[in-house]
Order: sequence, then C-alpha cells, then structure tokens
Amino acid sequence: MNDSPIVVENLVKYYEGRCVLDGISLAVPRGCIYGLLGRNGSGKTTMIRILLGLEPPTRGRTVVLGQDSMRLSAQTHGRVGYVAEGHYLIQSYKVRRLVGLCKGLSLRWNEEFFGHLMEAFRLPMDRKVKDLSAGMRAQLNLALAMAIDPELLILDDPTLGLDTVARRQFLELAIDVIQRQGRTILFSSHILADVERIADRIGVLVAGKLVVDCTLEELKSRIKKLRVIFPERAPEDLYLTEIVNQQKQGREMVLTVANWNPQKQAILETFRPESCTELPMSLEDIFIECTRPASAVVPQEMVG
Amino acid sequence: MLTLIRREIQDNLVYALAPCAVSAMCIGAMIYASFVGVEVAMPAIICSTLLLLASFVGFSILGAAQMYGDRARRISPLLSTLAVTRHRILAARVLVGILAVLLATVPVLATAVILLRMFAPPLEFYRRMVVEIFLTAVLMGTACYSIGLLVGWTTNRAWLILGNFLLLTLCVSLMGVKGFGPEVMLLLLVFIAAVWGRTWHKFTSASL
Repeated sequence: MNDSPIVVENLVKYYEGRCVLDGISLAVPRGCIYGLLGRNGSGKTTMIRILLGLEPPTRGRTVVLGQDSMRLSAQTHGRVGYVAEGHYLIQSYKVRRLVGLCKGLSLRWNEEFFGHLMEAFRLPMDRKVKDLSAGMRAQLNLALAMAIDPELLILDDPTLGLDTVARRQFLELAIDVIQRQGRTILFSSHILADVERIADRIGVLVAGKLVVDCTLEELKSRIKKLRVIFPERAPEDLYLTEIVNQQKQGREMVLTVANWNPQKQAILETFRPESCTELPMSLEDIFIECTRPASAVVPQEMVG
Repeated sequence: MLTLIRREIQDNLVYALAPCAVSAMCIGAMIYASFVGVEVAMPAIICSTLLLLASFVGFSILGAAQMYGDRARRISPLLSTLAVTRHRILAARVLVGILAVLLATVPVLATAVILLRMFAPPLEFYRRMVVEIFLTAVLMGTACYSIGLLVGWTTNRAWLILGNFLLLTLCVSLMGVKGFGPEVMLLLLVFIAAVWGRTWHKFTSASL
C-alpha cells in the first residue's frame, strides 16, 4: 500500500453542506493507468484537486508519492504532471512566456521531448494563450505536463475539446509515458472508449462513492449482461442477488448481474429458460449500468 | 524562487513603479525647496506630501492587484502544480511588495539626509526626526501593502474596494492622530504581523 503513488484513505469532502465525496478509499499501484469514471458532479475533479493539494479535504487524507497532499513539498510537486479540466493556463501570457515560467519552476525539463510535442501539435510560441483554441490549449497543457518527465501524471478529462486526431496523438503519448518504467497515470475522462483503450484499472464514482475499483478485465468478467427468453411470460422475480439492471418485455428479459457465478446460473436454470445469451458489454455499457439511478444494487465486492 | 519573484515583478510592474514615480516627484520637490527656500516652494512641498500619501494607496493597490489578479487569472492553481509550494508563491509576492516599498522610500530618505547635511544645522534633533519619519513611512507603506494583500484575495470587486478603503483610512488616520515615532511604529508592526498571519493562513489553506 505504501509503495502506491496514490493512496486515498476514507476521503470525505463537503461543499456548503453537500457531500461530494463520501468515504473514498483506494490505492493506485505503481506503473498503472487508472481510469477514474463518473458522471458530471460525481466528485472526480474534487478528488483530483484534493490529491494535488489544491483543495483541503473535510475528513480523511490523500497521499501522493509518499507525502500528505496538503503538505506536498516542491520536490514532490515537481514529480507530478497535471492536466486540469478546462486547462487553467495563464491566459494573458504568450505561449513562450508561459513555457519559460513552467520551465523555470520545474525540477526537470525534457527540452527535446517538449520540442517534439510542440512540433507535433503545431503550437505557436508567439501567440497569447487566450488566443489559442480550446484544443490547442489542451495540447499546450499536456505538453507542459509531459515535459517535466513526471513520475505520476494526473489527467482530469484531458481530451476534452480535442479533435479525433489530437485525441489519438494524446493516447499514444500516454502509452509512451507508461512504457517508461515506473510511470503511473490517473486519468479521468468522459470518453469511455479512450479509457477502455489505455486504462488497466478502473474506478467508478457514483454520487461521491467509489462503487467500482478493480482491473478492467475483472470488471468485464464480473458484470454480465444476459438476454433470457422464457417459455411463457418472464417471472416477476428471479431471486438473484446483485442485479444491476433488469428490463422485461413479454417472454424476454435483459438482465445485468454483478459477480456472475455458477450458483447464480443454477438459480436462473430453475426458471427453465428457453435460451440464455450473453450480450457483449463495452466499458461504456458497464458504466451506464453502474451509474444508472435505478441500479440500487452496486457490487460491493468490486471495491478494494 | 527567483522565477517566482521575476514573474511577480513583470506582472505587477505598473503598480510597483507608480509609488516609485511618486517618490521621484517628492525628491524633486525637496531639492527644489532646499535651493529656493521653503516659503517659495511651499506649494510643491504640499503637493509632494499629498503624493506621498497617495503612494500609500498605491502600495495597497499593488498588494490587491497581486492577490486579485492571482485569483481572477487562476495563477496559483497553475503554479502550485509545478515544483513550488504555496508558501513560496506568497513569500515571493511579499518580497516584491516590500521591495517596492523600499524602492519608493529609501531614495527619499537618502535625499533628505543629503539635503540636511548640506543645508540644516548639524543637530541630533533633525537626524532623529528624519529616521523616525522614514521608518514610520516604511512601516505605513508595508501596512498599506499588507491590507491590499489581505482584502485582495476575493472575487468580489465591491468588497475589495470597500475593504481596502476602510482599512486604509483606519491605518493612515493613525499617522494623522499619533504622528511619527516609536509608538506608531510599534502599533504598525503589530498590525502588519496580524495581517500577514491572516493572509498566510488564508492563502495556504484556501481552495485554489
């Protein structure tokens, strides 16, 4: 646990009496790409801001690279790259000046890599940041975060505003970073296909609670979506536990169940279904099922 | 740290130089008065004294501009994700403020000392008077700057102006009531320490 670059312990955050994060605990292993998912307002950005020491927690604590987030030293800050949602760069500065500032305030600066990124993104050095398009600002932010050769890269919806080509470039860069030994990425995004492509561990936040925290493979193997056809009208209750979602229409029932196992299979068999077909599920399907308001049953086993 | 100081200076150059320009005018008025006589140069002296008072407002504007500009342009959230701590950001900011206060006041003192040596009788009274006026002015400038820092950390422009005005009036009127001297200096020192403590706590624990 202590070797993890990110450790969150029983994190609680209240904003004006409203609970935004409700007892989150997780550890991101070294060298992992952790995809943090959640709907708007689920607490992803708040959690990231607390990790970086930009926001004090109400209760609990977060540890980044072995240091408490609220007491991060300059050296530790220098080992963390951050791309913020909305890309808060100093708008009135010219790109050149902003780059100079970031370079002057970093522990390491990979000039060659940065030059390569600026060239790849075709970013002008003599324009003011406010005159750049949203996509260009995102690229600049990413280039600045990557140039410090970070040990831990925290990306808060980094591909927001990027076109398809730039998004692809970004993902390739992220993969490039992870391939360097020991690099860790915490990555929150709304574009689930991106997360599915690069993440090897997933966390899903729903209304401030971490309802899923496991590897992508584990998540996919644990949640099953089944189309069951019964000889007559579909039964009212299947007496199965951990049903994430179920839809019924005549003889057909589409069922999403967490932690599918032979025992549950046997219970289903007692209803003598005519057929039972497993429907393929993408991460997006799983995410929608997990965050659906009706899905009262959240697979607790997936946390931790 | 030097990068942070340089950024503060570049971003707030106008506010930092304005009090220096005022002090240059004061120096001009003092030299003029010394050569043509105080009676003849009285309007210039009054003008420069008023300008000196205005420079206190200038210091407060500098502090407010540093903090308000940071908040409005979201500078600290960016800086504090680099190899910097909030303490360093604030320390660089305060250093630049103090530097501006000294840049505006030290040349006035130096000129006053030189002119006293040239024109005034060599009495201890004059020397003490100059030192007391100078130290009080430096502390008053620092206090006004600190007020700007304190009330500048807001997104509410009305509160910024009102808070600044009220605290400045209170602070400058202290000099009007008590004059110059050790008593005022002590009061100003306590006031500065309290304001810095509050600003430090606010800046290092707030959401950025």
